[in-house]
This record gives sequence, structure tokens and C-alpha cells, in this order.
Amino acid sequence: MTPDHAVEAADLRCDLGGHEILRGVDLHTDLGEIVGLIGPNGAGKSTLLKCLGGLLPARGRVLLQGRPLDQMNVREVARAAALMPQNTSLVYPFPAEQVVMLGRYPHQGRFRAESAEDRRVVDQAMRFTDTRRLAGQLLDTLSGGERQRVFLAKALAQDTRVLLLDEPSASLDFSYQEQIFRYARDLAAQGRAVVAAIHDLRLAARFCTRIVLLSQGRVVAEGPPARVLTPDHLADAYGVKVRVYPNAVTGELDYHLEDGSAGAGRHVHVIGGGGSAAPVLRLLAPLGYLVTAGVLSPGDTDLQVSQAFGILTVTCPPFGPITDEAFEENQLLAVDADLTIVCNLVVGRNNLANLEAARRARRLVVLEDDEFSGRDFTGGPAAELYAALKLRATVLKTDELAGWLARSGELVPRLSIRR
Amino acid sequence: MGSVTVPWADTAAVLLAKLGFPVGPVDAKWDSIIFLVRLPRVLGAALIGAALAVSGAVMQGLLRNPMADPGIIGVSAGAGFGAVLALSFGFAAQAVWSLPLFASLGSLTATAIIFVLSIRRGAVGLFTLLLAGLAVSTFFAAGTSLVLTFASRDNIAQFLFWAMGNLAGVRWESLALVVVPIAVGLALLLVFGRELNVLLLGELEARSLGLNVFAVRMALLVLVSVTTASAVCISGPIGFIGLIVPHILRLLLGPDHRLLLPASALGGACFLVACDLVARLVLANQEVNVGIVTALLGAPYFVFVLVRSEKRESGL
Repeated sequence: MTPDHAVEAADLRCDLGGHEILRGVDLHTDLGEIVGLIGPNGAGKSTLLKCLGGLLPARGRVLLQGRPLDQMNVREVARAAALMPQNTSLVYPFPAEQVVMLGRYPHQGRFRAESAEDRRVVDQAMRFTDTRRLAGQLLDTLSGGERQRVFLAKALAQDTRVLLLDEPSASLDFSYQEQIFRYARDLAAQGRAVVAAIHDLRLAARFCTRIVLLSQGRVVAEGPPARVLTPDHLADAYGVKVRVYPNAVTGELDYHLEDGSAGAGRHVHVIGGGGSAAPVLRLLAPLGYLVTAGVLSPGDTDLQVSQAFGILTVTCPPFGPITDEAFEENQLLAVDADLTIVCNLVVGRNNLANLEAARRARRLVVLEDDEFSGRDFTGGPAAELYAALKLRATVLKTDELAGWLARSGELVPRLSIRR
Repeated sequence: MGSVTVPWADTAAVLLAKLGFPVGPVDAKWDSIIFLVRLPRVLGAALIGAALAVSGAVMQGLLRNPMADPGIIGVSAGAGFGAVLALSFGFAAQAVWSLPLFASLGSLTATAIIFVLSIRRGAVGLFTLLLAGLAVSTFFAAGTSLVLTFASRDNIAQFLFWAMGNLAGVRWESLALVVVPIAVGLALLLVFGRELNVLLLGELEARSLGLNVFAVRMALLVLVSVTTASAVCISGPIGFIGLIVPHILRLLLGPDHRLLLPASALGGACFLVACDLVARLVLANQEVNVGIVTALLGAPYFVFVLVRSEKRESGL
């Protein structure tokens, strides 16, 4: 016999105000797991959590540690699963410790005073969440992070195997966001089952053992973060283009949202190097342009950024002159592009060919944040070439580019008005 | 103390004699003043003050609204309508108990209508409760005015006297009618301290803590309406006790209902006894209605709290 899941839902359906919010959700969570519910607003994350806690009327089946929810009374449910809602307020100013003590309610008899057990569990919960020292402080005098930790302690005081967290990091500073999830991870490690609605995909990827992606009341994908957080799944659920890649610094899963509509696939070729192209690539790629870049070398931030966006890039080995092959390719892209952008790059003998490649561009923008003479280490030939480029180019500063693109109609899709 | 001064020694003697202590002969004049007039009045004031203050504290917790008081569930308006009926149709002239009886029936009717309107699919809609309370109260107040239109001058004067809230009419007979419902209501309300604390978290959280929100809300509303109806039916509606006594005590003792409710009972009792004393003594040969005293003290305080809470919200 397989042991019961800590939480199990089968074909869960829930209607609210005449709308079908959950349309047949299957889900299970075991002790030791953090399962993250992700999905766009209105996907049903909160509703699902509330249904798992027996707080909304639902059809289908929910089992808490093998027991059907509809055969448990409210008190039994409260001892099996604790919900930490998105935002709680108490109207009147209670000291933190009393708030945590409220979590003991399902364990207390009407005419009994707080027991030694109540005080022990509250003390333990407050120690765990590092709120012991806030015990006597009034809730409304605490910071957002402290409040959230007090409410987590209150959920822990309920002493349940299952914890349901509804966007526990919403409205917190980013340092506190991680903190709450570190607590959740430790709690899972202690043998609890945590189900959390999470809006931040990076946090979900980082802390969850499994992720359930919801969209329009259904499970779109379910599994380990790397299997769920794919561009296809996210495009499905959120209806936007998303790039997912391992973050170069942390090695963790990261993603980047693309607007996708503005650029409409117009080809922009970016010539840069030494970090000059990075801001341009960051600006263009998410706008939905077909961006290419060249010639960049490993070790250059520009190359890291272009790889993060999956930008087709001409590369050559570092610390040597641009190879003929790379030059040809770079020039080909510049010729093909609807717009070629020469960034505010430093030019030496090794990368002089980058300016050369721009000469055949159909339409040219030169970004000049500071005088070229200060960036010219060729002793002559580059200055001549640069001057020639400038003659037929639009000259802008890097931070003027976005505005210029919008004004000049370059952001308008190719198929509209323009001839 | 009162318009007739009874010496302290005689007061003590009367009280002790009634409790069965052998204190020797007591002056019959003092005996009747103390025992027939003053004692029931003080006990009534204490009981009514406790009932109103505890009910107020409960309503403020239940509705999660510091400006709530028992009047919201139509108790006062209903009692007024019942009272005016009792007066206009002459029942009040025939029997002492008829006015309290009609008043309490009126307030329970108004409250029942409000409950029926605000219960939807096994839940008490607090917002609906507030609006239904307003509508039903207005309706009953209009009914009262309508009856008063056709009432005699005497009846109008009697009604106004009652409606301003006073304890002059409290006698052993009327007290006997209400002492049981008030005492039982108070005792039951006092054991709901923990539930009220949990309810402050909001409906969702209260349920996730295993509280049967519907049952507890219904129980509290019924207890509050019975207790308050019993109180106002003999004294008329006495304003602001239910509002300011819990407020002051919450400032002093914190919002924990396990402490706030018994403290409100005690505080409400003391406050109304004190206000009644002021009402009796402030003018030489004329009693002021105690409702006027509590309102004169309560209204400025209400404004003070309002202004302060607005300041806090706007961050000043």
C-alpha cells in the first residue's frame, strides 16, 4: 500500500459568483515537499489553496493525509492544514504574541485557559520565525517582513502537517521575500508539506521541489521547476513570449519577458563590444525585434547578454583581430538588417573590422555617448572610417535610442502604413 | 444622594436591614426612599450599563468596526416603535410591564427582520447586515413617527421622555422582568472572548482556524439583541455607552476580548451609575434624562476618536 499523500485533490472544481474558477484540478503534495502554484492572475491559485483548506465549497475530492475533507469538521481541518492568507489585518492593535496564540484556537477548549502545551508551541513557532523578540510589540508597529513572519508563526502555532501559503512574499522587500521561502524550505525539510501560491517565477524555481502551473482553472504543467518553467508552458499560461535561461551569475533559472508586439520581427543588427552593446540588446530583444549582434568575444558582457536573450551573434576568439570569416558574417547581417546600430564602442586595431562592416548597412544609427577620439586607439584609420559612417547615420546617445525608435516609426510593425 | 438627602448612616442601616442584619429600627421614610426608589434604580443602572457596554464591545469585534454599536441591529428603533404602540393604545397606562414588553418585542422583531435579510446561504453577510440594519431602523423610526402623528400630547411627551433614555422608571417590578435575560445574556457573551479575537482576523482566517463563523456570529447577534432589547425596554435607548465604554477600555487594556468583555461589563455598570447620579444631581429640582448625560459625554468623545483614527490613517 502506498502511503497517503499529505494533500491530494482530484478533479477539483469550484465556482465563484457564477464563474468557473477551478475546472478539474488534480494535485498532490507529500511531506517534505514545497509545491509552488504559479500562473497568471485569475488562474485560480488562491482559490485552489482555499479549497484545499476546506474554506470554499468545491466539487471533486480533497484528501488531507488520506482523510476526505468533507468528512472532517472545521476543527479537524484546522488541525490538519493551516492557511496563511495574502493579507490579514486585525483592526485593533494586538501584540505579536497574542496574534500567534490565536493559531492555537483549534487546540483549545472553550473554558480552558492557555495550556503549557499552547505556550510551548507558540514559543517554538516564534523562535523558528525569529519573532520572539517582537512578542510584546503591537502588530501595527511592525514592518511588513516582521508582520509576515508573525503570521507565519501563527500558522505554525496551528501545529499542522500541511501549510498552505497564499503568496507569502507578496508586498515584501526582496530580501524578505527570500526569507519567507527559506523558512518554508526548512519547514518542508522538517517533514511538513507546503503548498504555496507564488507570483515570482524566480522564487518558485529556486525554492520549490515541484511546480504546478495553472491557467484558467486547469493544470497546464506539473513537475520539477526546470520541466515546468519552459518558454512553451509559460507562453501557454501567460500568453506572452518568455525567455528562460540559467542566470550567468547565480546559475539559477531566470526568465525574461518579451513584449513581442512592437518590433514585429524587424531585423536590427547591433555592432558593439566591451559592454557597449549590452544596454542596446536589453532594450531591443524584449521588444520583439529580430536582433543579431557582432562581432563579440567570450568574456564580454555583451556576449553574455546576447546569449541570455538567445540572440544570433557573430563571435571570434578574444585578444586577436577579427577573423575574415567573422567579418564577412558581420557584414552580411548588417546588409540584411533593416537597421544597423553601431554602439559606443572602443576601437583598436583588433576590432577595426567592426566599423568596416557597418559601411554596407542599409540604415545606420551611431550611438555616441562620448567623443570618438577618446575611444580610438588605432591612430588614424578608425577616425576616418567613423567620420564616414557618421555622415550617413543618425547620431544619438544610447539612452536616446528608445525614444528615437518610437518616434521614427521603427517600433511600428513593417506591415503597417509604410508603403 | 439625590434631591432628598438621606444620611449615610441611615442608608447603610436600610441596606443592612434588608440583608437581614439586626441593626435595630429603621426610619420608614428612609426605608422607602432607599429601598423602593434608589436601590432598584442603581441596580438597574448597573445592569443596563453592563448590558449596553458588553453588547457594544461584542458588536465592535463582530463587525470589525470600532464605530459599531448595538443600535446597528435595529434594537433601538424597534424598541421605540414598540414603546410608542404601548403608549398610544393605552396599554402602558393599564400595566407597568406593558411598555417594556412592547419595547422588547419591537426590538426583537426589528432585529429578526435584519437577520433574515442578511443571512445568505449559511453565512451572515456583515455588509448586508449594516445596510439592512440601517434600512429597517429607518423604517421602524418612520413607523414611530407615524403613530406619534396621531398620538395625544400626553403620549408624545411620555414617549419623548422614554426615548431620551432615563432610569427614573426603574422599579423592582420592571427590573424583575429583565434581570434574567440580561444576566444570562451577559454571562453567555462573556465566554465568547476567544472567538471574538479569532473573528477579528476576518471570516476566512477564522474559518481556517476551525471557528464555525456562522454559528458564532448568529449566537452573538442573538445574545446581543436579547440583552440589549431587555436593557433598553425599561430605560429607553441610552446612547453612546455601547460605543465609548469599550473604546476607553480598549485604549487602557488592549483589544483582547477575554479581558475587554468583563471589563466592559464592570465599566459600563460604573459609568451608567455615575451618569445617572449626575443626571439626578446636576439640576436642583429637575432630573435630567440620563441619556442626555451619556450623549453629552459620548458625542465629543466619538468625534475625538474619529478625528484621531483619520489622522492615523493619513499618517499625520
